Amino acid sequence: MRGALLIVKKEFMELSKDRKTMFFTFVMPLVLFPLLFGMIGKLGKNDKAERTGRPSRVCVVDDSGALAGVLTGNPKEFQVVERPSGDLKQAIRDQKLEMSLEIEPQAADKQRRQETWSVKAVYDRSDESSALALDRLRKAVASRDKVVVQERLKAMGASTQLAVPTRIEPDDAGGTSRALGKALGSFLPYMVMMMMFAGAMQHGIYATAGEKERGTLLSLLSTSIPRSQIIIGKLLYVFSIGIIVAMINLLSMAFAVTRLVGSEAAAAGQGAQAMPGLGALASPGTLGLTFILMIPLGLFFANFIILAGIQAKNTVEAGTAIMPGMVVVIFLGVFSMAPGIEKMAFLPYVPVVNVSLAIRKLFSQQANYWEYTVALLMTIGLACLMTWLSTRMLRRESAIFKV
Amino acid sequence: MIQISDIYKSFNVKDKKSRSRMRIEAVRGISLTVKPGEIYGLLGPNGAGKSTTLRMIAGLMLPDAGTIQVCGIDSAKEPERARSTIGYLSTDLSVYNRFTPRELLKLFGEFQGVDAAVAERRGLHLLDRLHMAEFADVKMEGFSGGQKQKVSIARALLHDPKVVIFDEPTTGLDVLTAKTVLDLLGIMKAEGRSVIVSTHVMPMVEAICDRVGIIFEGTLHGDASPREILDRWKVRTLDEVFFQLVADKERGVA
Ligand SMILES: Nc1ncnc2c1ncn2[C@@H]1O[C@H](COP(=O)(O)OP(=O)(O)OP(=O)(O)O)[C@@H](O)[C@H]1O
Ligand SMILES: [Mg+2]
Repeated sequence: MRGALLIVKKEFMELSKDRKTMFFTFVMPLVLFPLLFGMIGKLGKNDKAERTGRPSRVCVVDDSGALAGVLTGNPKEFQVVERPSGDLKQAIRDQKLEMSLEIEPQAADKQRRQETWSVKAVYDRSDESSALALDRLRKAVASRDKVVVQERLKAMGASTQLAVPTRIEPDDAGGTSRALGKALGSFLPYMVMMMMFAGAMQHGIYATAGEKERGTLLSLLSTSIPRSQIIIGKLLYVFSIGIIVAMINLLSMAFAVTRLVGSEAAAAGQGAQAMPGLGALASPGTLGLTFILMIPLGLFFANFIILAGIQAKNTVEAGTAIMPGMVVVIFLGVFSMAPGIEKMAFLPYVPVVNVSLAIRKLFSQQANYWEYTVALLMTIGLACLMTWLSTRMLRRESAIFKV
Repeated sequence: MIQISDIYKSFNVKDKKSRSRMRIEAVRGISLTVKPGEIYGLLGPNGAGKSTTLRMIAGLMLPDAGTIQVCGIDSAKEPERARSTIGYLSTDLSVYNRFTPRELLKLFGEFQGVDAAVAERRGLHLLDRLHMAEFADVKMEGFSGGQKQKVSIARALLHDPKVVIFDEPTTGLDVLTAKTVLDLLGIMKAEGRSVIVSTHVMPMVEAICDRVGIIFEGTLHGDASPREILDRWKVRTLDEVFFQLVADKERGVA
């Protein structure tokens, strides 16, 4: 093992000499996600804040005055404006106002006679501000109606509760954490897989086919370090890079997400408790089990990269051999994000897919320990098999000396 | 001590034109011995099989048949132990550009199981001998080919190997540096190491080699001192031995 560790040391030393690569591997992702998410958040927030913070502009034709109090008594939500000249619908589509209301002339009389009267509301469903105006109207009218009904019941000497015969009290069994966990669980394995693979790929090529190309591999092979140790050392290096890159990206992403959602919750006046941090989304047990599963998966990827790199004559060949692997990883990732796939019976036995499936189930609190174990053992087995193959490959002379 | 007996090596290559596989018999039954305190020179035209032979001795390739013993260790059976006694250098082997010579030598010292401090001291001493001391802490990225070759030489000798295998050590070096390398080989010989070098530089062979083996098409012709070789072929320079071998072959074919 000493030889393998020396190789790991050498690889990291080489990497540390290359400031630019270091920056793009380790620092870039730290800055990227907060920047990206911050930007998206700001854009989204500005738009939303502008909509909800502004009263809806409504023009009203209300000769009977039946709705007058509802609109003017609510200046935060409604601003009564002049009816624009020209085509009314076009004016709404042009966002000159959000909604136009026309109350039937006999509304006040009808109400007195306890008959239903109607309001004609013209709005544009495709426009969020306009849809919001209708929503606000519905709520305002509903609360006004409740008062009217309760007054009538009172006058009749009946219970005011007749106005609300049944009240529904919803209670989310999953809770916010589960809903978020599910969303995150289907997304996270994909991100982790992608990052581990993409992060390690170039470094793996540099350390294998790159060493051949630069003529340095031969100097390593002429030392007394056994070839199997050289492979294992390089494997550990590529694996560590993959894990480190995935970790950095995850942390950066988690930080960016919690800040984004947190600030949104604060803006909505819900306070901090509305948005559980990532720690609350997934229990330490879930995070631990996910991490354990990531280890053999990372080893498997590292093995694939090393194997492709060591059999290639040069870096271009290695890159083109690894690319299909990348495509497969992306495909599997997208596939495992698809809804409903957890019901396919054979999936827990398909390598790599079963890992993302297991992580997904862990996050949505549906863990199946048999499937988890199968995924873990299968991936470990595959990783070992490929390590053995890589070692054999390095023993082959055609892999070392160009033919 | 190097003892090779009757080694063979062939390669399968593809002939692009006829689309058939071709078998190249690079080494066909070579036997030789290099004693401690002896410099053995391998000569031969391009593609004769010199590098292949040296790679097999260094344990980088396995012979198809025959045995190789380095310091009494069978290099096929215990390649790592055999390699720990060997200092190998070849032109198709390069240095890690991102390091300085000092960093590289310390690292390879560790690879070879030499204490870091010892490796550094010995490495610096070797660099000094090769007139590279002032470049010890300069990143090798900008080094010339010859400068890299000199660092490679220091790397190969770092672990005090009993057996020194140099494949064309002076290729790409200027005459002064080449002379330094030859002097270094002389010191290796004086220290009782077994040295085997391949080269195309005939005067070098005549100057420093105790024994000479001429490889031609995978077989060894003459395995004697330079003097004896010249006498046997009745020629004045080793170059002429080459011409004769080629002429003999053409006569044989005709
Ligand atoms: N890895 C390999 N694959 C296929 N053929 C090879 C390989 N290595 C060497 N050969 C062939 O074996 C023969 C001997 O090559 P070798 O490199 O030993 O020659 P050499 O004597 O060192 O020549 P030079 O003086 O040009 O360095 C050549 O015909 C070469 O093409
Ligand atoms: Mg050669």
